[in-house]
Amino acid sequence: MRRWPYVVVTALVSAAVAVWAIPHLGDDPSTSVTYRGNDVGPALPRLSLDTVVDPMAAQVMLLAAGVALLVQVYSTAYMGDDKRYRSYAWLIVLFEIAMVAVVATDNLFVLLIGWEIMGVCSYLLIGHAWELPQARAGAAKAFLVTRIADIGLLVAIIVLGQTYGTYRISHLIDAAGQEEPRNATAIGLLLVLAVVGKSAQVPLHTWLPDAMPGPTPITALIHAATMVAAGVYLLARLLPVFETSQVAMTTLAVVAAVTMLLAALFAVAQTDLKRALAWSTVSQLALMFAALSTGNAAAGINHLVSHGAFKALLFLGCGVAMVAVGSSALSAMGGLRKSLPVTFWTMTIGFAALAGVVPTVGFFSKDGVLDALHVATDGEATLGGATAWVVLVVAVLTSGVTAVYATRLWTSTFLGAPAPAHGERRAMVGPLLLLAVACLALSVGQELHVGIGALSTLVAAVGIVAALWLRDRGWRVRFGRPLADELGLDAVFVRAAPAVTLGAARMVDAIDADGIDVYPRGGAWFAQRASWVIGAVQSARVQVYATIVAGGALLIVIGSVAAGVGS
Amino acid sequence: MPLLYPLLLSAALFGIGLYGVLARRNAVLVLVGIELMLNAVNLQLVAYDAWFAETLHTGQVLTLFVIALAAAEIGLGLAIVLAMFRATGTIDVDTVEREVEA
Repeated sequence: MRRWPYVVVTALVSAAVAVWAIPHLGDDPSTSVTYRGNDVGPALPRLSLDTVVDPMAAQVMLLAAGVALLVQVYSTAYMGDDKRYRSYAWLIVLFEIAMVAVVATDNLFVLLIGWEIMGVCSYLLIGHAWELPQARAGAAKAFLVTRIADIGLLVAIIVLGQTYGTYRISHLIDAAGQEEPRNATAIGLLLVLAVVGKSAQVPLHTWLPDAMPGPTPITALIHAATMVAAGVYLLARLLPVFETSQVAMTTLAVVAAVTMLLAALFAVAQTDLKRALAWSTVSQLALMFAALSTGNAAAGINHLVSHGAFKALLFLGCGVAMVAVGSSALSAMGGLRKSLPVTFWTMTIGFAALAGVVPTVGFFSKDGVLDALHVATDGEATLGGATAWVVLVVAVLTSGVTAVYATRLWTSTFLGAPAPAHGERRAMVGPLLLLAVACLALSVGQELHVGIGALSTLVAAVGIVAALWLRDRGWRVRFGRPLADELGLDAVFVRAAPAVTLGAARMVDAIDADGIDVYPRGGAWFAQRASWVIGAVQSARVQVYATIVAGGALLIVIGSVAAGVGS
Repeated sequence: MPLLYPLLLSAALFGIGLYGVLARRNAVLVLVGIELMLNAVNLQLVAYDAWFAETLHTGQVLTLFVIALAAAEIGLGLAIVLAMFRATGTIDVDTVEREVEA
């Protein structure tokens, strides 16, 4: 099957998005009115296709367009002779368009539609290899968990609309700036629920690592540019509304703090390269949420874009290594430096960005987050100063752990005894090179926070040295088992969700059997008995009928004679 | 002659005829039962006619009508029985019923 047409289609879409977004990178937001639905009164939302592209939206749109295009190019080589390539390729395009819709729209319901389309796309793409039971399970899990969160978003949208009387995001933001906050805590907590599910934060974090049976390019797409990024973007977009509630901001900060450290520790203990990278995504997303919880949307989005670049690079590189050795287990890799030189160099840049090493973009964007937290410690933001201190300490700690696992993954993939491996393919390393360049080029013009930068470099250096030291000792560490089992947090879902569902189903079944079925069954029973009685009379034998008629006549005669005698 | 005797005879004839219609399985004997019942009625008509001693003798006239009717009825009935026998090979009413149902 020819595959370049799909690349051409994706390139056209991406080019259109780029043409749309690039002029707004530095500009004021531009509004374009494309379509307004009929006004159907205040009770129903008015659907419109208005878009607002501000610099923040433009960045995320470019990220989504770029990564989707690179993933499409990469997939032409990665997917081998996959027999469902057509649906796969179109879903990537749909995924990209849905993400752009979420980012650019000014209408909350259009946003919701894009958000749900992404949920469906990720379900279908994670379950692309549906012959594998774990792919089916991962897809269903991703879909169900994000659905739970989507309910939060839907209710949040309705509450927002009822509170402010509009479903247009720009109007909401204006209104939130001027009026007294109303329903702020409810809206904030519902939004937190929505993004916690979509962006895989504690406690709804378990779907993301279980989505790993999906094709690796899809993992890159989901983790870097779409889906999980939508959660971060949603909060950044609605931040003026969201930050009116201190409760919601504090909740977000706590969730982010717990998630970033926990996920980073899980990443350290993984034995599978792809799964470790998945946990790393969870941890990095938490870092973005930490920035948002201080009210600094720019820092969060900056890290989102930078993370998108280096995490796409890492996942695509991981895919090259998986194709080369035929497995994603770290034990199957090692010494790939020689057989996969381009992958080695590009992924080195990616891991450096993940660990926050100068001069990669990861260093600058992470420092932006840390700086946002540091600024918030003065207590002037909505977030309390003490909370900000705690989150800052956790974030710094997380940077250290991040450096540890980045180094560990890097060394166990590329150093050591060479594993047997096939070579690289051009369509696969091309995107890697571009992303590696992006990881360095995006650093240009980034703000440098000297004090924070020095601290994070020190922490990263300590982490790298610790990782190298642990590697020499063969990674014999006691913390391994519970962390590799991810503290059994998933068991809660795996056990509780089916138990609750089955319990509810049994209850409903009992109600159905004893409360509702009784009536039709009783009716049927009665009708059957009645039909026996009537059926006994209706024997279809004329002589029986005649007997009845004669008997009846006799009765009438006897009756009238008796009455005549009586009177 | 008292009215009671012909009436008792008529009631006896009607009862025998009714029994024949209800209990017999042979179609010809069912028709015979019907014939008996009709004649029981005829007997009553004549008896009452004599009892009332009416100048127009409506009872006797009605009896003639009933005899004509009975002749037509038995002609038609036997024709049906004959057709039934030709079609099914039997004149047992139950057997015919079962075969028609089947």
